[in-house]
Amino acid sequence: MNRANRALLLRLIGREVRSRFIGSATGWVWLILNPLLLLGVYGFVFGVIFQARVPPGLDMPFVAWLAVALWPWLMFSEGVLRGAQAIREHAALISKVALKRELLVIASVSAVFLLHLFGYVTVLTLIGFLADLTWLGMFRLSLALVGLYALALGLGLGLSAVQVFVRDLEQAMPTLFMFWFFLTPILYAPSLVPESLVDWLYWNPLTWVMGEIRAGILHGEPVPGVAAGLLLLGGLLTLWLGWRLFARLNPYFEDFL
Amino acid sequence: MTAPLLKLDRIAKRYPPTVQSGERLRAFWQLLWRGRSSGGTPVLEDISLEVLPGESLAIIGANGAGKSTLLKIITGVLAPSSGEMTQRGNIAALLELGAGFDPEYTGLDNLRFNAAFLGLSPEQVEERQDDILAFADIGDSIHEPVKHYSSGMVVRLGFAVVASVRPDLLITDEVLAVGDESFQKKCIRWIEGYLADGGTMLMVSHNMYQVQKLCRHALWLDGGRVALYGDVFEVTQSYLAWHERKDARETHTPRNSQAPYRMLSLGLDGVSGGQHAVPLGGPLEVNLSLGAPDGRPPVALVGIVRADGTPVYGVATDHDDFEAEPDGAGEYRVSLRFPALPLLPGAYAIRAHAMDPEGLRIHDTLESEFTVTGQARELGLIRIEHEWHRR
Repeated sequence: MNRANRALLLRLIGREVRSRFIGSATGWVWLILNPLLLLGVYGFVFGVIFQARVPPGLDMPFVAWLAVALWPWLMFSEGVLRGAQAIREHAALISKVALKRELLVIASVSAVFLLHLFGYVTVLTLIGFLADLTWLGMFRLSLALVGLYALALGLGLGLSAVQVFVRDLEQAMPTLFMFWFFLTPILYAPSLVPESLVDWLYWNPLTWVMGEIRAGILHGEPVPGVAAGLLLLGGLLTLWLGWRLFARLNPYFEDFL
Repeated sequence: MTAPLLKLDRIAKRYPPTVQSGERLRAFWQLLWRGRSSGGTPVLEDISLEVLPGESLAIIGANGAGKSTLLKIITGVLAPSSGEMTQRGNIAALLELGAGFDPEYTGLDNLRFNAAFLGLSPEQVEERQDDILAFADIGDSIHEPVKHYSSGMVVRLGFAVVASVRPDLLITDEVLAVGDESFQKKCIRWIEGYLADGGTMLMVSHNMYQVQKLCRHALWLDGGRVALYGDVFEVTQSYLAWHERKDARETHTPRNSQAPYRMLSLGLDGVSGGQHAVPLGGPLEVNLSLGAPDGRPPVALVGIVRADGTPVYGVATDHDDFEAEPDGAGEYRVSLRFPALPLLPGAYAIRAHAMDPEGLRIHDTLESEFTVTGQARELGLIRIEHEWHRR
């Protein structure tokens, strides 16, 4: 990527971030408030009504345990969903201005990650006051987030290209992502899943990401293992595949938009 | 020899069928597995052209000929279905000025964005910002959101940003018809300065005067194919001639075959039919043969009309007390010679009429088209002798 494109990407990210705030006086408040409300709902339903408990050996509120995994999930799901829409959303621009279109997707995904990262850091700091966090595990957590980012970017690129041709995807994606949310150990620990099903859980890459994150800062295992490497590798592979798919379909976007 | 700024080699474009979702899906799978799709509507076929530095090119053609599609391909917005395109240097387009603007953001934000789309680095934008603002001349509105702008202001800002880039190749599409009178003049002055500094332009225009003034070569697109490509005068003249003929064809009157006095043949410089060309100021001979039933020589009236039917000049044998020569069997021959035809380049037609011997009624008409070739930027139909003097 040359200098001009890098500058353009930064501008695009800046615009994505600002478009969340522009026109609304308290845009940044909602940025934190929305995930907090979501956390409140899940915390109430699962923690209070269903009496969900944190896995044995941990001494922390269920809500805090949930929050550690909820923000990465929001980054991922929102990042993929927004990235997948980036091309359709900018159809007017694409049909008039010649630019590297992948930048639009990268900017969308990156902006979501940046915004939620800001919220995540805030929330982790708050949890730090409530419970014992292994701050050394931050490295393992960051590594998992990098893998997650690569995965989201790859999916975003591929899906945004496919969505130009197959509009139905737009309708199906939010529901699919809700399935994915409940099939990922975010609200529950893998240890609570029945023995016969637990193997299936590990076909889901997000299970590994959440495992890495929680192991790092909650369970006091700050050293990343083979799983972290595999996760990163898988993320990069997805990114490469998404990139290839995007590059292949890119010349025909204008005809189908 | 200098390398071309832009070279198109057998470019073709098909728009795939996209209306039904089934078609979209099929095209999607074809693109995914084979890298191309089948079917669709061809809009451009077999376009080859070259733009050398300093030699501007005009693309002309009727509406729907594929000019805009070709420009989109050249600017990189659209990918060709087949063919090769190579380019050198930076290209900037004055197409749909301000099209990339986001109405929610201020003029200044959009200025920076547009400049980034055109490949300017943030430092370059910073450096040229004052020039851009001065050129656009929209005052404090630059801090307002673009949605509050008038369409003229949007265009001015868009033009100013492109102007600041000073591209190697500038692409325009009827751009000189934007903004108010004074801004138009400013744009034209800028473009003239740009061309004088060695800039190169690729323009689409319906204004042949402008095309001849600004470009060295022209490409005439007709139905997605190259109808003619070459010297600007040659191409624009043929193009205008084609247009005028098309207009004339729509108002054509059928021939009267029952007439007593008839036109038997009409030839130009001894040849009848086909495309005849006369150089500007060259000679033209009109050869006629007429038929009469009663042994009296009919009057021949010869008229010159522009291809669209506008009369230019007409003269009859009886104006000059001349009589056609009898050739036995009721046929009469006569020739009319113009030693130096003062018609300006363009498409014309000779209309020869057979009249009764009294010269009262036109009985029959034959028409033959011809073109006047040459390079002239004068306006109108004929060259009138003139002299300029300093006073």
